[in-house]
Amino acid sequence: MIAYFTNLASLGAIFCILAATLNVAVGYAGIFSVAHAVFFGLGAYAGAQVSLLLIPDALVAMVVAALVAGALSLCLALPALRVRGEYFVAASLGLQMMAVTLFSEAKTLTGGIGGLTGIPRPHILGVEVSTLPVALAALALILLATALLMRGSFGRTLQAIRDGESAAEALGKNVAAAKALAVAFACAGAGVAGALFAMHMQFVNVESFNLDQSVLIMAMVIIGGTGTLWGPLVGAVILLSLPAGLAFMPFIPSTEVGAVQQIIYGLAMTLLMVFRPAGLVGDLSRGKSHA
Amino acid sequence: MLLLQLLLQGLQVGALYALTAAGFALIFGATRIFHFAHGSAFTLAGYTFLFATQAGWPWYLGGLAGVVVATLFGLGIYWFVYRPIQRHEGSFFTVFVAAFGVGIVVQNLIGMFAGRGFASVDTPLSRAVEVLPDVYLAEVFWVAIGLSLLLFLLLTLFLTRHNAGVALRALHQNPDLLRAYGLSSTKLSLLAFAVGSALAAPAAILTAMTSGLNEAIGHQVMLISMAATIVGGVGSLRGAALAGLMLGVAEAVALSFVDTQWAEAVSFLVLFAFIIFRPSGIFGITQAR
Amino acid sequence: MSEPLLVCEGLSRSFGGVKAVAGVSLSLTAGMVTALVGPNGAGKTTCFNLITGNLRADAGSALLRGQSIMGLKPHRVARMGVARSFQDLRLFTHMSVRDNVRAATETSAWFWQPGGAAARKAREAAAEEALARTGLTALAEARAIDLAYAERKFLSMARILAARADIWLLDEPASGLDLSSRRRFGELLKEARRQGVAICLIEHNLDVVTELADRIAFLDQGQVLAEGDPQTILRDPKLAAIYFGDREDAA
Repeated sequence: MIAYFTNLASLGAIFCILAATLNVAVGYAGIFSVAHAVFFGLGAYAGAQVSLLLIPDALVAMVVAALVAGALSLCLALPALRVRGEYFVAASLGLQMMAVTLFSEAKTLTGGIGGLTGIPRPHILGVEVSTLPVALAALALILLATALLMRGSFGRTLQAIRDGESAAEALGKNVAAAKALAVAFACAGAGVAGALFAMHMQFVNVESFNLDQSVLIMAMVIIGGTGTLWGPLVGAVILLSLPAGLAFMPFIPSTEVGAVQQIIYGLAMTLLMVFRPAGLVGDLSRGKSHA
Repeated sequence: MLLLQLLLQGLQVGALYALTAAGFALIFGATRIFHFAHGSAFTLAGYTFLFATQAGWPWYLGGLAGVVVATLFGLGIYWFVYRPIQRHEGSFFTVFVAAFGVGIVVQNLIGMFAGRGFASVDTPLSRAVEVLPDVYLAEVFWVAIGLSLLLFLLLTLFLTRHNAGVALRALHQNPDLLRAYGLSSTKLSLLAFAVGSALAAPAAILTAMTSGLNEAIGHQVMLISMAATIVGGVGSLRGAALAGLMLGVAEAVALSFVDTQWAEAVSFLVLFAFIIFRPSGIFGITQAR
Repeated sequence: MSEPLLVCEGLSRSFGGVKAVAGVSLSLTAGMVTALVGPNGAGKTTCFNLITGNLRADAGSALLRGQSIMGLKPHRVARMGVARSFQDLRLFTHMSVRDNVRAATETSAWFWQPGGAAARKAREAAAEEALARTGLTALAEARAIDLAYAERKFLSMARILAARADIWLLDEPASGLDLSSRRRFGELLKEARRQGVAICLIEHNLDVVTELADRIAFLDQGQVLAEGDPQTILRDPKLAAIYFGDREDAA
């Protein structure tokens, strides 16, 4: 039972990192990416390869994963600078679909559909550690960094761009640089989550990095509430405990648990948008149009 | 000859893409709602047809049922989801998330009740015969091409000749004018959703007869429609249809150069390139920003 | 008077064959208020957009303290000391009044602002001063979207004050203000003029223009028809005819 909860908590911390970092792009910068799982995947593959080939050190793996995901975030920043709104969502969907193909086909790097197996458990300075404390520490650090940045001038710049790009420019804000940095920060965070995920599961394949996963992460942010520090965490915890909760309901056949879970969160997304667009934690007026 | 075969296949797939994309573009052009659940109308129509034929209904009744279900779905999602969101001035992202939620629900309900994996209807139409040496063609090819042309002709006539069609085109450009003429924008939006969703049904039915359906096909259909609308240029129905056709052909022809898995990515590569280099699309009149 | 801060010569821009601005020359001097006056569609806002880099000019030059600003990105022009307001204000609607003003004091796009604690204190002071001068201190925690109309206008001015620019381009800053707000706005502008800001404003209300402007540039169909002190320009019957839409007479 303890192992079950430790596992759940580790995954919880990892998904909290994903939701919190996506929130920087969606909630503060108004960059509605549906490709967050791509950078989660890039981090996971990078972290896994570092552990497999180089050294099974959690810190090294996380740093490399963050660098790889952060550098490739340019793929997302490019359309973010060119287009807005539906167009950007479309571009990020396109990126997500292309990435899945790449992940399944670049067999030497990703192991293809079969994925990478036998990833060593995380070590720190040669001592094997369990994922949970590492993941919690990473989450705490990322939350702290997010809170500091978003309450400071950088957060103000992003929100200013979100609310009025031309006015922000007229006040001397370098919109391109700020957007690119926000995207890089969010994607690097997703990379860290990926490295943790790879070391925790000891196995990764493309299934974890597809569109469904991106939508799940987005749903966490939306359901919890965009543009708030705690909303995405609440969303992540709720959506992750859903399958666990459903497993205890005897009247749902076990083969359908996955489908029922998806239906519930699909419904939750739709109903929330209709009745409470700011999410559970968010303040209501935020949900109004400012895209 | 392989190339010709692939080209013909591409035309058939592309004709169906064009129909679905035209529906999506019609809805977007008239209501400015980026209808991300358009794929669900397609899926529902296809499976309705599937169930009807399995239940022994004749094909035309099954087809009719498919059209009716798709239309009802379009009307329902506008009335119960989009309209309330628009009333409290929800941003496009609110619309997107809500629509995506609907897509997930539809996909999983179908997965639960119809089973997962590919299902198709076998009809005499879908049996391929050799028309040229090494080139196989099923009659469904001609049906797909003919039906697309016919429906497109009807749609064009409706939009240019019929009062409601003309009003539909004016809906986005000048809502105030419509109000002055006593036309309700809600009613016209409903019309757009009805017509747009109905257009997805024939494509779904033909897909059920050829390559088959699975519960997740809505995703792909939605992405293709969206890609075609953007590549064709938002605001241009003809552009969307043409781009849909092109994407179908491009995917098929890509098969002769790369593996199957890569062929699917071709559409998205095209979409991505367009968004970065020419966001207004081929026939675009409005710039994206 | 001293050397002009900003000198524009022959600015031109057309949209699909229609010349929105056709060879406008304009210079702004420190401590002077220039009003751009003219009928709707005369190209006044387009002039602003050409100067700030929001639009690319087809021809012409713009020198800021002798340095060309043509082709620069809007944020570059802003950082060189050109602040502008928009007719539709474009406030940061979901941020607090104070954060709207603070954002105007910060320009670095990095995660932090340069200059350390001293610079931060100076920025805070500038923001608080801008709030005080526009009478928004009591509303500092309110969100921009919740403000009343006149308060929004003053918030837009507060952002410009906080930006500490030496050239202000104001697009209809006084439109829709009631008499007492307009008086407060006038004080604000006169204070800035005393401090040596070069101000250019687009204004339709001729009372405001007469009261505040040192000079008027009269624009019609993308061209400066006349330039001079308010009395001369406003008494010209030909210009009045154009302004009040009686084109037959003017021709």
